[in-house]
Amino acid sequence: MTDPTISDSYSHPTAEELSLFLSRYCARLLGAGATCIRLEKNATRIARAYGMELELTIMPRHIHLSIWRDGHTGATTAIATMRHCATSFDINTRLSRLSWEIADGKLDFHSASRQLDRIGKISTHPTWATLILVTIANAAFCRLFGGDPAAMIIAGIATAVGFHIKTCLLNRNVDTRAAFIACSFVSTILGATDTLFSIGDTPAITIGTSVLYLVPGIPLLNSFSDMLYRHYLCAISRAADATILTGCLSIGLCAGMSLMGIGMF
Amino acid sequence: MLYQTLQDALFAAIAATGFAAISNPPRQAYIYCAILAACGHAFRFILMSASFAGINIIPATLIAALTIGFLAVLMASHARFPAETCLFPSLLPMIPGVYAYKAFGGLALCLFSESSGGFTTNFYLLAYNSLTCCAILLCMVVGGTLPIFILKKISFQATR
Repeated sequence: MTDPTISDSYSHPTAEELSLFLSRYCARLLGAGATCIRLEKNATRIARAYGMELELTIMPRHIHLSIWRDGHTGATTAIATMRHCATSFDINTRLSRLSWEIADGKLDFHSASRQLDRIGKISTHPTWATLILVTIANAAFCRLFGGDPAAMIIAGIATAVGFHIKTCLLNRNVDTRAAFIACSFVSTILGATDTLFSIGDTPAITIGTSVLYLVPGIPLLNSFSDMLYRHYLCAISRAADATILTGCLSIGLCAGMSLMGIGMF
Repeated sequence: MLYQTLQDALFAAIAATGFAAISNPPRQAYIYCAILAACGHAFRFILMSASFAGINIIPATLIAALTIGFLAVLMASHARFPAETCLFPSLLPMIPGVYAYKAFGGLALCLFSESSGGFTTNFYLLAYNSLTCCAILLCMVVGGTLPIFILKKISFQATR
């Protein structure tokens, strides 16, 4: 008779092994900016693939999970702290695929563990590439709001400088809120050159769009998505984060406009 | 009208591609984000244009977001991404950023108002901009997420 606490861990991990694996998995997935419903579905899928049941409590910065095997009375509990990293749909995609590979029996437990480690080491896109793409995007955004070519160029320059400062400040572990105020302030000052030197015909649009790259769109969308699935705690937390960052953006914007003597409306 | 619509689609596609870079999607996802944003934003543009339907920005956003949502679910299952990977960056060009910071600007002006007339005007700006911003956001997310909810089976099996 085999001891149920000793695992045939290639195919049948113990509840303890699986809870540790899932706590790492969930912490990584939540940190990458996944919605709560996806986290629930993926984690439950993995647990069921190993013949176990899972209950999850998702808090804004922590995940609490309990796992038990069908027919056993004892449950194993683990608490994981969210792994903070930049929002990454690449990691989100890979972790979702991993959950299906486990569910479809394409990976044994050890391979899945190694795969999870590899996904954790994936680097983000090069900063310079992101900088160029965001610059062009904000210039295009300026055009969508009716900006002329001069406005697009100035908004692009304001974005490039602001985004570069943001990257430098966040790499030096400066508080995100302080970084947002500083970037918004600098971008506003640069965006205001259209008004000051009468370069183009749409200076108000230039200054308005020069800070839009800072609007925390993904956290806002995640927040509303969590709300629809009744994950109110995470929804409120994400909405609060996004509101605070939008507030910081506005503080920098108002300060920059006051300094340059430009009215908002 | 056709030229303006195509221009709107082009710039929305560029904006979505660039803003998608901030959220590190898989490289293959950029093209899907561009197509979805172009379709959705151009559709909203047509709905809002006076010569076509002249619909208010809020219901127009809801209809455009629903369109993007359904297309995202179908494309995601084809490309093996979670639907959010294509969906959220495609919605970003519709984020009401201008309303959001005008709302905060209104709040700041309210606090520094020296007369009741000035306060009333600024409070109107605060209320109008924040309500519009919230309504657009709600329509965007409800419209974008509803197709994931309706087509749950396809959405959550996309990465299989």
